[in-house]
Amino acid sequence: MTRATNVEGMGGFKDIRYAEEALSARSYGAALLAAAQADPRIVCLGADLSQPTETAAFRDTLPDRFFMMGIQEANMIGAAGGMARSGDIPFCHSFCVFVTRRVYDQVAMQVAYPKLPVKIVGFIPGLATELGVSHQAIDDLSLMRSLPNMAVIEPSGPEQVGAAVAEALAYDGPVYLRLAISRGKGEDTTRLQPFKLAAAQLLREGVDVAILAIGGMVAEAMQAADRLAAQGVLATVANMASLKPLDAGLVRDLAGRHRLLVTVENHSVIGGLGSAVAEVLADAGAGVRLVRIGVRDEFAEGGTTAYLWDKYGLSAPRIAERVSAALRNG
Amino acid sequence: MTRTNKPLEDLTAQAARLRAHVVRMVARVRVGYLLQGLGAADLFAALYFDELNLDPADPAWPERDRFILSTAHNTALLYATFAERGLIAVEALETYTRDGSPLEVNASERMGPIVEATCGSLGQGLSVALGMALSLRRRGSEARVYVVLGDGELQEGQVWEAALSASSHGLDNLCLIIDRNYLQVEGHTDKVVVMDPIDAKFAAFGWNTTLIDGNDMGQIIEALDQARRVRGMPSAIVAQTRPGAGVPFLEGQMAHVAVISQEDANRALAHLEPAA
Repeated sequence: MTRATNVEGMGGFKDIRYAEEALSARSYGAALLAAAQADPRIVCLGADLSQPTETAAFRDTLPDRFFMMGIQEANMIGAAGGMARSGDIPFCHSFCVFVTRRVYDQVAMQVAYPKLPVKIVGFIPGLATELGVSHQAIDDLSLMRSLPNMAVIEPSGPEQVGAAVAEALAYDGPVYLRLAISRGKGEDTTRLQPFKLAAAQLLREGVDVAILAIGGMVAEAMQAADRLAAQGVLATVANMASLKPLDAGLVRDLAGRHRLLVTVENHSVIGGLGSAVAEVLADAGAGVRLVRIGVRDEFAEGGTTAYLWDKYGLSAPRIAERVSAALRNG
Repeated sequence: MTRTNKPLEDLTAQAARLRAHVVRMVARVRVGYLLQGLGAADLFAALYFDELNLDPADPAWPERDRFILSTAHNTALLYATFAERGLIAVEALETYTRDGSPLEVNASERMGPIVEATCGSLGQGLSVALGMALSLRRRGSEARVYVVLGDGELQEGQVWEAALSASSHGLDNLCLIIDRNYLQVEGHTDKVVVMDPIDAKFAAFGWNTTLIDGNDMGQIIEALDQARRVRGMPSAIVAQTRPGAGVPFLEGQMAHVAVISQEDANRALAHLEPAA
């Protein structure tokens, strides 16, 4: 007996149709709309948050393919499973906490187990908002990474979001896409970053320490590397946007040529990037030291991003201090 | 592939054949849901042998009516129905709940497309069904979506999210059948959570609602007919079923899990298969 997902009309898809415009978009909303205009199977599901999940343009441009599900995340995920089984490619939107922790069983049973092409898109990753602990996703990467079949992607920013959307579409299965609200808008001139599942991007080559960062922490890590360079410390920096599948080859390679590895994530140090890297190192028997920077097994509080990142050790200066101290004590 | 409009006696006889399978399956492995299977057999006979538009030779036919058993553990009955309808081999029933068999206690899509979604984590089936109904409607399909929920399952909050959502989207291609047998693990549902009046609740949520005797084939067929004609709103059929129905010495027993001796199974089969 065959798995249902491989049967026509039961979800699953083989041919990918996405627009070039999606790849070069510098906001999630623009990338999704361009992709949807190229592929009529794409539908957009919202949970009352069109503006903050960048889906208002989709709602207004393709109203027949936009489904407002209300403040009903569990129902939205179940419905997305039903739509995917009927041939659609649903993108589901809310804040990170509400499309992961709140609906974990629904995602496991109606999306991950049947390996349906449902793309789960969360905004407000980690510590980022004055809204407080209810809206701070510090365990979403851990939760989604543990689900079989689920790919987990956190692009570094607007420069990588278009490529991440295209790759999420190309993966014939469920994806968790963890996003920060695009800030740069049209005037962003940062060079576009490629994205491929299971492939990290080396952004800077050093010799003393390798910093592996994800999401908004990539920019902080790059700034931390500048600070370290001023002290004579040469840091390698890698963008680990594909958390699952992880670029294990690159991790082993970096472990072989640095005496210290540092992971940086806007997430708990339990279960996310730090854990994923530790698993690769342990499996490989690598003896390299690993420092995991992230939220240290505690709940945080509401505040501005800058305040929170500094207080919880995620800002560039705090990262540089931590790396310096680790090198001194190593 | 079309609705049959079979005589009621034929459907009732079909339900008796389903019941006989249920008794044999549960007696053989001493696992599975006996009383609930007997109780819902008339609903399954009406759905699979009259109402559902499907093609056993092409179970993934895109225009098929969808059926989801959200209470995914009532599988002695479900698999018996599959076998009688020609969707699986009758001999496969002998592997029910055996190690390695795809005929698990909770139906999963290891069975292939005849299990439209893997439920069993209670409360999720109605959301999946409404997603299918949304998707079928947007592509102009005539196919309908049927979903059976247990009454205990109505205690899950997600059911009521979906109930609001389905009427809000005006999904007249969605038909919910609630298997109201007053039975859950802890005992009588009223001892756990009082849920009556269920029909009034769904009506208040914007559904076309009918309360029927779920062991009366005439009432079942009439309710399904009426649901199919309604436009602009989803339909909920609250079917009051009797656990153990069809086997006099089991009827009305209230046990979530009941095992049956081979001797009692033979007595039950004597009622269900008088010609044998």
